[in-house]
Amino acid sequence: MKIISTRFHSGCLLIGVAMLTLLGMQSAQAVPSFANQTGQSCVACHAGGQYPELTPYGRMFKLTGYTMGERSNPLAAMVVASRTSTKNSDGSTLNGRAIVDFASVFLAGKVTDNIGGFAQYTQSFYDTQDTNNNWTGHFAADNFDLRYADRQIDAKSDVVWGLTLHNNPSVQDVWNSSPAWGYPYVSTTHGAFGALPAATLVEGALAQQVAGIGGYAFLNKSVYAEITSYQTAKGSTSFLSYGSKTGDSNHPLTLLDGNALYWRLAYTHEWGAQNMMVGAFGLNARTFPNDSATNMPVTDAGSTHFKDIGIDAQYQYLMSPHTFTGNFRAIHETINDASFTAYAAPASLNTLMVKGSYVYREKYGGSLVYKTVTGSADTSAYSFSALNVPDASMWTTELFWIPLQNVRLGIQYSWFTKYAGASSNYDGSGRNASDNATTYLYLWTAF
Amino acid sequence: MKIIYAFMRLSILWLASVLILGCSNIDRSRNVSNPNVSGKTLAEQVCSNCHGMTGESTSPMFPKLAGQQKDYLVAQLTDFKGHERSDSRGTTYMWGFTHLTNAQVDELAQYFSSQKPMLGRNSNELSRARGEEIFRHGLPDKGVVQCVACHGASGEGNGAFPRLAGQHANYVIEQIKVFQQTDQRPRGAPMKQVTHALSESDTTAVAQFLESMGAMH
Repeated sequence: MKIISTRFHSGCLLIGVAMLTLLGMQSAQAVPSFANQTGQSCVACHAGGQYPELTPYGRMFKLTGYTMGERSNPLAAMVVASRTSTKNSDGSTLNGRAIVDFASVFLAGKVTDNIGGFAQYTQSFYDTQDTNNNWTGHFAADNFDLRYADRQIDAKSDVVWGLTLHNNPSVQDVWNSSPAWGYPYVSTTHGAFGALPAATLVEGALAQQVAGIGGYAFLNKSVYAEITSYQTAKGSTSFLSYGSKTGDSNHPLTLLDGNALYWRLAYTHEWGAQNMMVGAFGLNARTFPNDSATNMPVTDAGSTHFKDIGIDAQYQYLMSPHTFTGNFRAIHETINDASFTAYAAPASLNTLMVKGSYVYREKYGGSLVYKTVTGSADTSAYSFSALNVPDASMWTTELFWIPLQNVRLGIQYSWFTKYAGASSNYDGSGRNASDNATTYLYLWTAF
Repeated sequence: MKIIYAFMRLSILWLASVLILGCSNIDRSRNVSNPNVSGKTLAEQVCSNCHGMTGESTSPMFPKLAGQQKDYLVAQLTDFKGHERSDSRGTTYMWGFTHLTNAQVDELAQYFSSQKPMLGRNSNELSRARGEEIFRHGLPDKGVVQCVACHGASGEGNGAFPRLAGQHANYVIEQIKVFQQTDQRPRGAPMKQVTHALSESDTTAVAQFLESMGAMH
């Protein structure tokens, strides 16, 4: 009975949030900032309406500094309610519970004819547990991208160029094969197995930890080139890492040793209703380790040097009522930890992501995703593995429904064929990769 | 590396000064609500993203505008501006242009109508033959009037009647369905009668023939 009761209440919560959301949408007719600014539907910029996948028009909107349209109300908000369930429970008290997971506020849109931005700050309602095991929330900086952009176009040439200030390597990118805007577009924040057990540095480790200034150019709608330099977001740029602090046990700030450099090249082509991109990118960064007891950065014992090089590709077929997108990304990382804190020896890591999505009538969609990580064995870095390796293979299927352009209800099912180097008994305590299968039901809305 | 970092530091200073001054160039503005931005600038900075720099759009999701009849363009822009044309592609992309002035509408129409006419594309020969038959002679037994009566012998259009020669077949098919099944384009109401008896295969045949009629320059 208790199980039935819990499930009943979970279901009621999601249905209740859904109804309130739908009613809210209809009465307030609220739309996110960019749609307000352009007067256009979300599908103009988002492929099949599947935020945040961008159409060619959406990419141009971003590259021209979010300045298309007229200046309007820059405020918007986003709420995500979800329910995560792990096949063999990960021990979380939230396993199987429907919760209002997190909410974001946005300040986004055109400032002048050349300046525009996108600033997101997020309140997580289930961030950490206190000594009484009660969940506490956390408010922190999320993705941020402020741009100056200009476009010189005539019958012979088309040059878009700009500068960007942002806080997450690749958040400035316009293709959804890049790490910051790649799949999953929304995922469990508290399930222990919602993602691969290891990732390269460019795949999120520096998100909301750094301040980057970059310059880019997009030539004749075909060649894109960019270079960005990052420093730790502290002092005058601490608003970009708001919520993370040196010494904070739950949200320690990652300190860069000097500047980190990111580069990006891409070639894109459109023909008929189709378009494609092939590209490459890289990140060269050094980070200081944090002291395991105080969480304070240790700056006098050497730093960890990461060299990431990635290739990626994207294909889109956009012809209403059909939208198909395919994404590919592969990253090779070499690691040298002079401090011998995070890694016991020079190491390497490789990640792969292949994803396909189809959306019908901008309402009904699905995705199939395959991700892997492989790496050299290390006794310090991968204590969760009996073999001391990060190797894992993960499949995800997703089905979603977009009843209104700013509401999405979806369900993801992720399962592992290998985890921490093995399909069975990967931790030496009898846990199998299949135990980590995770079901994630979500309701996403923006207004 | 030092040069790059020096460049980055300079960039920060420059960006900060630009942010403070907020200067802009009206000849490269993407502000669709500023009456001082010329139609040509809007065509280049905004419209070209979907319709192409010369109105020769790449994706069939977006109609070609190259060499389109000026009166027709003025009428459509006016209808989008007033939200009187409400087919889904129009509302998705065009309903944001509510602040265009009459002068800007005229300049935009002038810009695209004065471009070289739409390019053609060959397609299925059998289908084209059927399409040409309908285009030139209609289907008298079904009450489908010949297209040439209004759109011209070469599909070049005439004033309020749009150029069809070279238009994306997919776009023509989509719009014929809009005329047949909805009242979302009130100004095109006469097309409801003209197309009501056109079958799906005949609609495709006409559209493919029209696409093949485009210029070959």
